[in-house]
Amino acid sequence: MSIETLTAPPSRWNGLLPLWRQTPLSFRIGLIILLIHFVIAATGPFWAPYGYSQMGTGRPLSGMSWAHPFGVDQLGRDIFSRVVHGAHIVILLSLSGTLLGLIIGAVLGLLSGYVGGWFDEILQRFLEALISIPFLVLALIAIAAAGPELSGNPVLIVLVVALVYAPRIARMARTVAVDIATRDYVTVARLRGESAWSVMRRELLPNATSVLLVEFALRAGYAPVLIGSLGFLGFGLRPPTPEWGLMISENRALIMITPITVLGPGLALASLVVGLNLFTEGLARILGRTVKLGVQ
Amino acid sequence: MDAPVIAVEGLSVSYRQGAGFNRVVDDVSFSVAPGEVFGLVGESGCGKSTIALQLLGYRTPAMRTDAGTISFDGRDLLALDRAELDRIRGARIAFVPQNPTTALNPGIRVGAQIDEILGAHGYGEAGRRVDRALELFGLVGLPSRPDFLRRYPHQLSGGQQQRVCIAMALACDPAFVVLDEPTTGLDVTTQEQIVALLIDLRARLGMSMLYVTHDLGLLSQIADRVGVMYAGRMVEIAPTEELFTDPKHPYTRGLIGSIPRIEDKSGLPARPLRGLLQRHNLPKGCPFAPRCDWALPECFEDRQELATAGSAREVACWRWPEIEVPEDARALVESPEVEQAGNLLAINDVSVIYGSGRDAFTALREISLDIGEGETVALVGESGSGKSTLARAVAGLLAPAGGEIRLAGKALAGHVKDRTPEERRLIQFVFQNPDASLNPRARIAKALSRPLEFFFGKSTAENVTAALADVRLDGKYAARFPDELSGGERQRVAIARGLVAEPTLLLCDEILSALDVSVQASILALLQRLKTERGIAMLFISHDLAVVRMLADRVCVLFRGDIMELGRRDQIFAAPFHPYTHSLLEAVPTPLKPHPRREATRETAGTTPATGCAYAGRCAWQIGDICDNERPPWRETEEGLRIRCHHTLDELSRRATWPNAAPKQTEDQKVIQ
Repeated sequence: MSIETLTAPPSRWNGLLPLWRQTPLSFRIGLIILLIHFVIAATGPFWAPYGYSQMGTGRPLSGMSWAHPFGVDQLGRDIFSRVVHGAHIVILLSLSGTLLGLIIGAVLGLLSGYVGGWFDEILQRFLEALISIPFLVLALIAIAAAGPELSGNPVLIVLVVALVYAPRIARMARTVAVDIATRDYVTVARLRGESAWSVMRRELLPNATSVLLVEFALRAGYAPVLIGSLGFLGFGLRPPTPEWGLMISENRALIMITPITVLGPGLALASLVVGLNLFTEGLARILGRTVKLGVQ
Repeated sequence: MDAPVIAVEGLSVSYRQGAGFNRVVDDVSFSVAPGEVFGLVGESGCGKSTIALQLLGYRTPAMRTDAGTISFDGRDLLALDRAELDRIRGARIAFVPQNPTTALNPGIRVGAQIDEILGAHGYGEAGRRVDRALELFGLVGLPSRPDFLRRYPHQLSGGQQQRVCIAMALACDPAFVVLDEPTTGLDVTTQEQIVALLIDLRARLGMSMLYVTHDLGLLSQIADRVGVMYAGRMVEIAPTEELFTDPKHPYTRGLIGSIPRIEDKSGLPARPLRGLLQRHNLPKGCPFAPRCDWALPECFEDRQELATAGSAREVACWRWPEIEVPEDARALVESPEVEQAGNLLAINDVSVIYGSGRDAFTALREISLDIGEGETVALVGESGSGKSTLARAVAGLLAPAGGEIRLAGKALAGHVKDRTPEERRLIQFVFQNPDASLNPRARIAKALSRPLEFFFGKSTAENVTAALADVRLDGKYAARFPDELSGGERQRVAIARGLVAEPTLLLCDEILSALDVSVQASILALLQRLKTERGIAMLFISHDLAVVRMLADRVCVLFRGDIMELGRRDQIFAAPFHPYTHSLLEAVPTPLKPHPRREATRETAGTTPATGCAYAGRCAWQIGDICDNERPPWRETEEGLRIRCHHTLDELSRRATWPNAAPKQTEDQKVIQ
């Protein structure tokens, strides 16, 4: 019998331009929403009608108008301008905090799931202990431990967000790792003598990306709320920082009089969360190769 | 001929793929007469299962029926609405699935699952249906006891689960039963029992069946007529016997030629198919033309329709009258048996125990086995015999509870992490399932370059191309992801990944069992070549004795963690046999060999006594209590064949009937369990 050489059929990875049309719809919508947010965040301070702490821009507590699309708050500040000015703060703090949490959580979780044994046991019990503490309480404990001189510091906020999210992401990552660790290609790597770190980076991480990205999107969506709550309690960013969560907290008493002052920042927050979710969900499908991009 | 029970006319089915539809079944016509078993055979992806599901009127949003009719009971199944189909399915047309483990609901007792289908079709009153369920269990060879009805699926063996599925299919006395690869997931001995049951049921109930499988050997035992499919088209329909003795279509010839014949001394396939089905570049004309030895330029342009060729036969090839039946073209030389050059691997008294305390389970019981340099040793046995456990122990995935494993004279550590990089490099593992053995997110180039980097410090694109060439794959595959490869191609990559480490020992764990027969043949040829060219020793695990006969130098037969027989290939396939080896050989379906009416075996007989013979309780030649209580001695022939049995070698030789017809089976021996 002859053993013939098989020639490869034409690959589906030949060009990049026609790929856009084949991406999932959710990915395209999500990407557009996110791009709008990023453009506003980057350019907002240059075209916002008023400064973020500028008072007396209009009659306090006035509702929607052409001059003040999101109304005016008690101090006479233009909510729309504040939302625009706050975009980069919200995006930067929530994304970097969640990203840090994702990195720490994914590394701990994947390693723990792959290595198993006592390392896994101890780490999991510790993480469970952290998760059992409510979000805000844990955040407040961390801020209190950091001391008063760091209070209100954006870096501290980022670290706190990471601390709150990392255990939850770690547990998710561990579940995924336990499943992948039994696959034959991981066994092959183990037989080769690869270190746990190398197995995690080469075999586990690429196969966990879709789950981790969805997790990231979900957490990143809640991060502005967490940051806002901290601000409201006086442990987060300090007024008059135009942080959206903080603004919702500040204006929540006015919701009966001028609902738009709460709805405006809320709308901005919601669209960011929706955009993040659609984008990451689509990205997860592309990376998971359930939707295949390519030229036929 | 009677009016057919079911007639398929010009059926074409497409699946959604991306924006368009992809034709998977193209203009297929056939019919099944009352009481007839029609076999449908072809490689994976040929559309045979799609047809099976269409016969039940199964539809999904991703599937589109483009043309055709399926007449049953004077109606067109494809035109019926859901409610009408529900009345027919299960009652008039029944289905036996491939995998009974997933087909049965794990949370419902088997009796209740049978009752459910009886109830759904208004078969008998609620109180009386238990009697029917018991009757059905008796019919399919399960104990017809009420307590058995109360079992959950996980309390049954795979064979018993499949019997339950068959009982469910028969529940409402259907006119037609569709069986989709009903024995594919089962052991060879269990498979034989299920086939015997189906033959028996058909004789007693006279029902019509459509039997879908990729195993032609199996069809020869059960089918009256066989339809051969290729790339969605029916290429030949013929009565079973004629198909095997005088295949007309070149594809059928190749398919029959690809089957390794166990009764054949060399064990080589007579005339295997070349190439692979590559659906993405089918010609306009005959889909088989690219792989056909007789193809003319016209074949690529014009499509051959199925046309009458002699009585009761149809062939979709217009060259069939001209084609000479070829001589056996055994281009492959039988691999010469390797002289015991030097001992590469020594397995000494290795035991493996899973769990501990009361739950401890002995998977391997003091196994001793040597593998010489460049020698291929086959491990044979059914699932649960400890074949894979032994390979895993050698690889260092499981630490043995006792004994030691030596590689080239040096003792190996039990766990792979305690072994030296050199030791890890010299032993490479190829897994059974090509779908799981490659990282789905890594391109082929990465899968192949990583071991090179790891063991030799560097890897270049040329290394990867060379590694692919070694397993006869084009260099362009390097840029692919595993899901862009077929199963056979993935298995080649998995072998290449093992080879780049330049091992001296390759552990192959059932690496052919997930592949089609023609793909198997090409991978086997590849392994043969590696064996002769590179002198790599192999521990080759397989349940397929025909494959083992082709490749192995020595064979080791395992049962429940104990070696039953160990010897050179020619010794294993000749008397004297161990009773278990004999039953394995008898169970192999061979084209056109009358179905062996061998002595029935009990399906499972509890746990093995710790003291006696592992095979005691299932052995057809059992002597008596001695088998249960005393571990049998090794009996060794002058040539070095070793058999562990209480019978003397002479007695074993006397009892051996394989490869000739076995004695008749008597009625009382048919009882299973």
